[in-house]
Amino acid sequence: MVDESSIKGTLKLIRDVVYKNLTNEYLPFPMDKALATKWAYEAGVPKGGRVILYTSYMYQMAPVFKSFEKLLPTVGSLARIGFLASLGSRLVKPSDAEVKRASTVLKNIYAITRASRPGVGYLYEEEPYSGALLYELGFIDEFKEYGKRLEEFFKIRGVEEIITADPHTTFSLANYKRLIGFSIPFKNYLELPPIGVTGKGRFVIHDSCIYSRFLNMYDLIRQLTKDAGLEIVDDEKVTGRGIGFCCGGPLGPLNSKISDEMAKARANSLKSVNPEALVFCPLCYENLSPYIPVKDFAEVISP
Amino acid sequence: MSWLELITRISTNNYLEVERILKSHPYVRDAAKRLRERKMAVIENLDDYVKATMESVSRIGGHAYLAKDKQEAREIVSKILGDKKLVVMSKTNAAYEVNLREFLISQGKEVWETDLGEFLVQITNGWPSHIIVPAVDMNRERAAKAIKAIDPGISENASIEELVAAVRRFLMSKYINADAGITGANAVAADTGAVILVENEGNIRMVTVKPQVHIALAGIDKIVPTLADAFDEAMVQAAYAGLYPPTYVNLTAGPSSTADIEHTRVSPATGPKEFHLVLIDDGRLEASKDPVLKEALLCIRCGRCYFSCPTYRLLGKDWISTKSPYNGPMGVMWNYITNDDPWPSFYCTHSGGCREVCPMGINIPDIISYIKGKGTKQV
Ligand code: SF4
Repeated sequence: MVDESSIKGTLKLIRDVVYKNLTNEYLPFPMDKALATKWAYEAGVPKGGRVILYTSYMYQMAPVFKSFEKLLPTVGSLARIGFLASLGSRLVKPSDAEVKRASTVLKNIYAITRASRPGVGYLYEEEPYSGALLYELGFIDEFKEYGKRLEEFFKIRGVEEIITADPHTTFSLANYKRLIGFSIPFKNYLELPPIGVTGKGRFVIHDSCIYSRFLNMYDLIRQLTKDAGLEIVDDEKVTGRGIGFCCGGPLGPLNSKISDEMAKARANSLKSVNPEALVFCPLCYENLSPYIPVKDFAEVISP
Repeated sequence: MSWLELITRISTNNYLEVERILKSHPYVRDAAKRLRERKMAVIENLDDYVKATMESVSRIGGHAYLAKDKQEAREIVSKILGDKKLVVMSKTNAAYEVNLREFLISQGKEVWETDLGEFLVQITNGWPSHIIVPAVDMNRERAAKAIKAIDPGISENASIEELVAAVRRFLMSKYINADAGITGANAVAADTGAVILVENEGNIRMVTVKPQVHIALAGIDKIVPTLADAFDEAMVQAAYAGLYPPTYVNLTAGPSSTADIEHTRVSPATGPKEFHLVLIDDGRLEASKDPVLKEALLCIRCGRCYFSCPTYRLLGKDWISTKSPYNGPMGVMWNYITNDDPWPSFYCTHSGGCREVCPMGINIPDIISYIKGKGTKQV
């Protein structure tokens, strides 16, 4: 049976702490921005611009988002004693290896984007979080409010087109468009022409639920991977569109035990098709990687 | 075999089997599309359709009732039964929803479920794991142990066929002596008052024909405009449940009758002398007026969305548990409609598989998201 009181406790923290922090700082909790933006400094991405690559910190902070359930009570108690802002980078910090991996992924996504959007920029330390967590946890009204502020935020900075790097951010913008008429055009980087994208390896695809079943990218992703030279092994029983399985990520904030069990179950079924899996989402990577060798599409290709 | 292994095997088999059925009988998809429109027309005017259905039932010599909630439904059935003692039931989620069996037993009645899966759930004091296959979590060994309690002659090593035969023997004496039969309804036709029931075992035939009183329990969401729509619903439900063609489709329109003498229709004939239809509201009318929730009322209880759902495949009946007979993605919606309980929705991972497989094209993830929104307002 669902643990009602634990759900209520988490939701209260999200509303009282995370939403408040989002309203004030455009971030769900304090983050080490130097770490999150390092990749862009290294790649020499222009600052700002009419077209921006919008990471919403998903690749950089995925390890933190995964341990959100464990993190929340601490964030909550620090917020209660007014300590949250001074927390800075100490609490929320991915490891060096994780930062390095995220950097490779984002540099490749940037390169793919730049091929069809020369001059694409990045907001660096100013970049706001997408608000995905609010929608996924049912804070629909708060999500809509935040979306209005976000649109304003981008418009003030002269942003005319947004290129997203992950499914959760893309879906947030799609939901803003649907719910509040978010008017800035956006595209996911996978929808851009894959100019010169090549890679190798044999994988079973673990579809992001959002990409395959909400943004209708199931076929596009298969085409893209094949065109890039990757060998894809599909099995209708495991990777079919209607029977695909979640990585467990969305349950993380509410129940990490079930979330982990789901990841393990998914990894086992993927293994029955191929020893190595390919993902397109930083949260899928975080959840599945303890149980099966996984690569992100953006780290097995060279643009 | 663990629950996860079992349900994974069943889920993939069901998924592939339904795909095969739809490919070989493409008219089913057309019927599903048609049915969605026809059901939506009812939902938009539910009050009128309830009234029309009740009038139709009276016209064919039956009795119709509208229960506004669980308690009223129990009271109506109890009143119809009076001092009748032995009751046989066919699998009906509506009865579970209003907790009818327990209530009747507490009133001193002898009540037996006759669907094999439901019978196993009853004799083990369990709870259905799935709307179509209630004892999906029970293997042969556990079933044998349970059946031994009602038939000591059965060995714990008995084959599945022997187990089924033992239950058949046991239930036969109940059918013969039953005072009343209680069923659900897959669809209720507003134009004729006819009730359609789909099955494979043959138990519904016995329950609807053998006892002298037949009581059908149905949520008002089961109303469709015409008998033709009701047959569509039977066909679509069976196909998407992966059991096509169904072995039996039963139609009941009033008490038994004959016109064999002077072509004058008299009632009863061989079958029941009384037919009662108890329509249950229990939150449905209110849901029909909610622009988001109303779509959930399109559900035809095929149970396919369960199999596509990662949370259900992991947690099984523990997800919504004994709060409701409805589980899986549709259960999140229906538990909210009938119990005002938003909390199971928070274990939905929004995998979206449910929407892909739903014959009625219900935007289940959107509705669940809306229910989550109702929950967040309560903290
Ligand atoms: S919601 Fe759709 S798939 Fe699920 S039981 Fe109802 S009709 Fe079937």
